[in-house]
Amino acid sequence: MREPTYFVLASLLDGPLHGYAIIQRTGELSGGRVRLATGTLYTALDRLTAEGHVELVREEIVNGRVRRSYGLTPPGAGALRAEAARMAEAARLVTDRGRALQVGGGARKASPA
Amino acid sequence: MTPLERRCRWLLRAYPAWYRRDRAGEMLGTLLEASGPGQSWPSLRDARALVTGGLRVRGWTWSLSMLWVVAGIVGTGYDFYITTKPFTWADVSLGIEGWSADPVAVQIAVVLATVGSLTLPIPLLIAGFVRFRGWRPRNLLRIAAWAGAWIAGFALVYQAEVWGDYPAKCPAIGGPENCPAIGSPAVVSWGELGICAAWLVLGAVMTWILAGPAHRSDVPDTSSRLPSAKGSRLPPGTDDVQA
Repeated sequence: MREPTYFVLASLLDGPLHGYAIIQRTGELSGGRVRLATGTLYTALDRLTAEGHVELVREEIVNGRVRRSYGLTPPGAGALRAEAARMAEAARLVTDRGRALQVGGGARKASPA
Repeated sequence: MTPLERRCRWLLRAYPAWYRRDRAGEMLGTLLEASGPGQSWPSLRDARALVTGGLRVRGWTWSLSMLWVVAGIVGTGYDFYITTKPFTWADVSLGIEGWSADPVAVQIAVVLATVGSLTLPIPLLIAGFVRFRGWRPRNLLRIAAWAGAWIAGFALVYQAEVWGDYPAKCPAIGGPENCPAIGSPAVVSWGELGICAAWLVLGAVMTWILAGPAHRSDVPDTSSRLPSAKGSRLPPGTDDVQA
């Protein structure tokens, strides 16, 4: 799962959002790292809707234009959780080894003394 | 309508009409909300994403087709360009009109257009049929149109060979003395003009054939998937940028 897709799904964890709100929320969640362009967002929404990860939940007219809100489906929430677990596992691999290296490095430094 | 809205609507035309009918109003609203106050042009990032998103929705077959059409237009434009100057014996020997005296940029464009014109047709023909795979009744008309467009295309190529007698008037062997037309500008015949016009029409027809969604699942018919919205469907054309 690509990072923008991950953050789009994560932005819907707290409830359905419309397009612009998704853009804002992904920016907040990623600390400003993921800045979705409108075209990119709707490409992702089309794909996620086709995959059954996202669904349309509300449709309203604002300023004469349709505004649709999208929500996370149970399979979408599952895919997001699986991706989060995969990333946590990948991160743990490095952080644990980093800790071991720190301990090992400390031991090596300590041994000549 | 603000200048920003007008420019965003123009950019949304990168998407095919069937997609815009459902999505354009929603995307336009998001684009305008995401724009800063006083902004009159969409950002470069948004423009790029809209164009690439539109091309993605149209599919690579459409892009391939457009590439071929552009190659044809460049070739046709070149045919008109060379009629403005006399051709030489070197052109006749090479078989590429006006080549020897052309600027490098024109030579490169002609070579690219020629390579595109020659290499794209067969992959494009196959890609078109692959796009309409399934042989379902709703695709039969487009498959027939696709086959018809190609038959018309081959007929045009044949006619171009018959009518496009520049520089075929001069035999490639025998020397300049057998080619009295050397030193005089070539002339585009009425038949060639007709062929050029027919090519443009054919390109438009092919683009139209490929512009439709290949599968029903491609159409983001979001409103029909909204369970509670059946009684409150939007009026037709509410959000269509074509309007």
